[in-house]
Amino acid sequence: MTSLEDLRKINARCIHCRACQYAYSGEPDRQGETEEYTGMLQGCPAGIYFGWEGYFNSGKQWMARAWLNGEIEPSQELLEVVEACTTCGMCETQCPNYIETVHVTEELRAAIIEAGVEPLPRHKVIGERVKDEKLRNPYNEAREERTAWFEGPADRFDAKVAYFVGCTGAYRQQHIAKRTASILKKLGIDFTVLSQEVCCGSPILRTGQKEIFREVMEKNLELFKDFDMLVFSCAGCYKTFRNDYPRISGKPLPFKVRHTVELVYDLIQEGKLTINKEYAKKVTWHDPCHSVRHVGLAIEKEILAKSDNWLMDSRKAEKAKEEHFEIPRVVLRNIPGLELHEMYRIKGDSFCCGAGGGVKTQFPDMALATAKERLREAASTGAEILMTSCPFCVTNFNDAVKALQEEQSTTGEKKPGADLKVVELLEVLDELIE
Amino acid sequence: MARFIIEETPSMMEDYRVTRYNHVTDEVVKKLVSICGEQYVTTSEPLRHSYMARGIMGLEAVLPEVIVRPADAEEVSQILVVANEHLIPVTPAAGGLSGGFALPAIEPGGIYMDMTRMNRLTVDTENRVMVVEPGVKSGDAWRIFKVKYPEWAPPIPDGAPPAATVLGDAIERGFSLVTGVYGPQADMIMGLEVVLPTGEIFRTGSWALEGAKPYYRWGPGPNPDGLFLGSQGSMGIITKAAIKIVPHPHHKTVVAYGGQNWDDIIKPAWQVSKHELGIAENTVMVQGGNWPLVMTRWPKTNVPTDYEFYKKIGISEYWMNYEIWAWSDEELEYVKKKIDEIYKWYEEEAGTKCPQWKLHPKQVASRLKKPNKIAIPYSLWQAGFLFITWYVPWLESPAVMDEYCAKMEEYGFPPTMWVASIDHARQAIVMPIVCFDSTEPGIYDKIREFNLETTRSFLKKGWLNYRPDPFVHAPETFSRTPEYYNMLVKFRKVLDPNLILHPGRLAIPWEAVTDLPNPIGNGN
Repeated sequence: MTSLEDLRKINARCIHCRACQYAYSGEPDRQGETEEYTGMLQGCPAGIYFGWEGYFNSGKQWMARAWLNGEIEPSQELLEVVEACTTCGMCETQCPNYIETVHVTEELRAAIIEAGVEPLPRHKVIGERVKDEKLRNPYNEAREERTAWFEGPADRFDAKVAYFVGCTGAYRQQHIAKRTASILKKLGIDFTVLSQEVCCGSPILRTGQKEIFREVMEKNLELFKDFDMLVFSCAGCYKTFRNDYPRISGKPLPFKVRHTVELVYDLIQEGKLTINKEYAKKVTWHDPCHSVRHVGLAIEKEILAKSDNWLMDSRKAEKAKEEHFEIPRVVLRNIPGLELHEMYRIKGDSFCCGAGGGVKTQFPDMALATAKERLREAASTGAEILMTSCPFCVTNFNDAVKALQEEQSTTGEKKPGADLKVVELLEVLDELIE
Repeated sequence: MARFIIEETPSMMEDYRVTRYNHVTDEVVKKLVSICGEQYVTTSEPLRHSYMARGIMGLEAVLPEVIVRPADAEEVSQILVVANEHLIPVTPAAGGLSGGFALPAIEPGGIYMDMTRMNRLTVDTENRVMVVEPGVKSGDAWRIFKVKYPEWAPPIPDGAPPAATVLGDAIERGFSLVTGVYGPQADMIMGLEVVLPTGEIFRTGSWALEGAKPYYRWGPGPNPDGLFLGSQGSMGIITKAAIKIVPHPHHKTVVAYGGQNWDDIIKPAWQVSKHELGIAENTVMVQGGNWPLVMTRWPKTNVPTDYEFYKKIGISEYWMNYEIWAWSDEELEYVKKKIDEIYKWYEEEAGTKCPQWKLHPKQVASRLKKPNKIAIPYSLWQAGFLFITWYVPWLESPAVMDEYCAKMEEYGFPPTMWVASIDHARQAIVMPIVCFDSTEPGIYDKIREFNLETTRSFLKKGWLNYRPDPFVHAPETFSRTPEYYNMLVKFRKVLDPNLILHPGRLAIPWEAVTDLPNPIGNGN
């Protein structure tokens, strides 16, 4: 599906039931630990922040329908409403009509831009940077510096595995890139990184700039085509390669893809890896939307796409999705001493950190408010560590912790979440794997 | 039979015919902003489109010109005063789950009042009543009761999605999880707070007395609740409803029996329910359907369409579910045993087979789940669906369903049918689910034709639509009930002299919704 028109029939399934506005919309009887976190809860970051129906997926589906029926004109105003969404996919999890809500939103964004509306200012800037041959990243960093963090020879095309670092790992969170490389070495994987790697295109696709996205997608597909497997540390890059490249290119990936956390999971499951070092902390886990929910949903849809009997196969598909949601939990349970305290909204119903879909760039206040809401939920578990595995979640949560600490010092009032330490799981794994 | 003569018809009709509405102007928007605050008023075109819906219960919808989100009854009142001053139509909506029915239906779209900010709920377990504002969702009410009042249940709509509002269901006189025993949701009302179209706020029942609790429905004089329940906001805007809550025993199960035809599921259920006491009190919900009810929840292209498959997986061609609530396992077992005895007796009497459906514990748990999303996936069959709902005498429901199913097949729709008991099988709510492809050109005309043909046939037989489509059922019904329509017009004229509230299902003004001759137009 590569255009909004292709999604017309899927969008037409929406009856405006608004189930998509909630986490656990299908489990109103769900028992939580506290009065606040019990039953179905509001789950849409944009809807909660702005309040108007148009910011919830339910409203966006009908804006998309108006667009498809020629009832609404392209405008900056329309684009602003449609872009104020983290594309977290909570809505997609809830929809009993299997509407591909995130694709509809992303394609509506693209359709508005293709109709001549300028991308929103900050989105335009990152688009231009990624398009620039000398940069190919949204951070305005020199292309030749992309692998500067890597200690060792890059561009080894004889390796079977390539580590796709992504722009954030390459330029902003190089410690995570180093940790990932270290994990891969410890696991005995012969891998390389490529200096000609370009932005995966995730923020560009999410913000509707499809032309630029196609350009970088094709470059990456060509560059990595002869490897057996690509591994990732960035949840966004991983999801983009795994889910979006085949959908938009119309071709299956020529290589296998795995997030590093999944790689560790595979080895644990195969009995090839045991973690012996202790990590004696109270941890709560935040599911990154990209690598957990979106990949889970894709697994479910891939099974259904092959089925001629959804009545019989939908449970199997759901089970496969749920198994994917267990991956980080299996890894965490294999860390000695780690005490996992789950939040209420988890797995498919996990509440977004607030950074995705171009929101952190263009709507920083909404991103911060959403992260604070999630920190409050994390704090309710009694955990000292908020662990996740996504560079954007880590950044946005750290920003929110800082903001809460500032509010705390200004008001003198205790702010739940202000004491949490945000930790990337890959860092911990590197410390623990011997 | 002589028909009622309406003496004042000419002048009244003149009034209604000339009713014309104005567009929302900048001046009106400014006034709305001064009432609700800037952040709760918008004329944004994208946001106005975001409220649209065509399906579920109504297919016609007009784009509103401005959206307002009032905080309380006072603000609602002030908005109505402005609407009257400027002759602008107003459409209130709570959760908006009625699809097209929760939107403006006539041009111009006017003011759309999104009531979701008014979402307070209070509970009085001593007098067994809760007070809800329009924005209280079923799922939220369920969560609050689960946590704070586990021995009580809010009568939330069953089958409606969790985002459906409690008040929306009540003023629709809808179906709740205990309708089989207590009657339609409107029968649970203990008092209303209403803002009249001209802006006055009043309460009904004992609640009318300042400081009094809503403990007595009928209040200090004749009770006007019936004018507002079922008018869907056409007579006034309900800003609070006091609704009975019910005991919530935790010994529950669901049993189901199959049958060879509609009679096989309707007649035994009548035997279970008609005595009203004893096991009838325990069977809080009695609902059933036919096998396409299972099939059409999946994509037409990705599910077997032959009954043989469904037979193999144990689905009866027709079936009835009984949801049983009891205070102990012993009581639960007793009720199950008595229902089974009735079925065995019926099988012998009717010379038929009604096998008990062996439900997996997961199936039981799924059917007991409240609220649920069971009614949503009918869009998967193609891309859209419409619920059409009729109230008929219980034992006449097989005839309704037979006729409906035949007509659905004639029009190319799958014959998906659902039926449930209202008030111990006094009435049946019969609901065909018309699954269609909303992207197919001309489909809405086809549905309208189907709807008109069945409506004309059913009205002749004395069957009534309970959520009348303003463009199909309402004009057809009121064409046959001129005296009743005349009475409604009189009340409407008194309450809403400028007709600013949307026509709802009342077909007032008549000319706004139909080309049929006005039943009170020529006086006979």
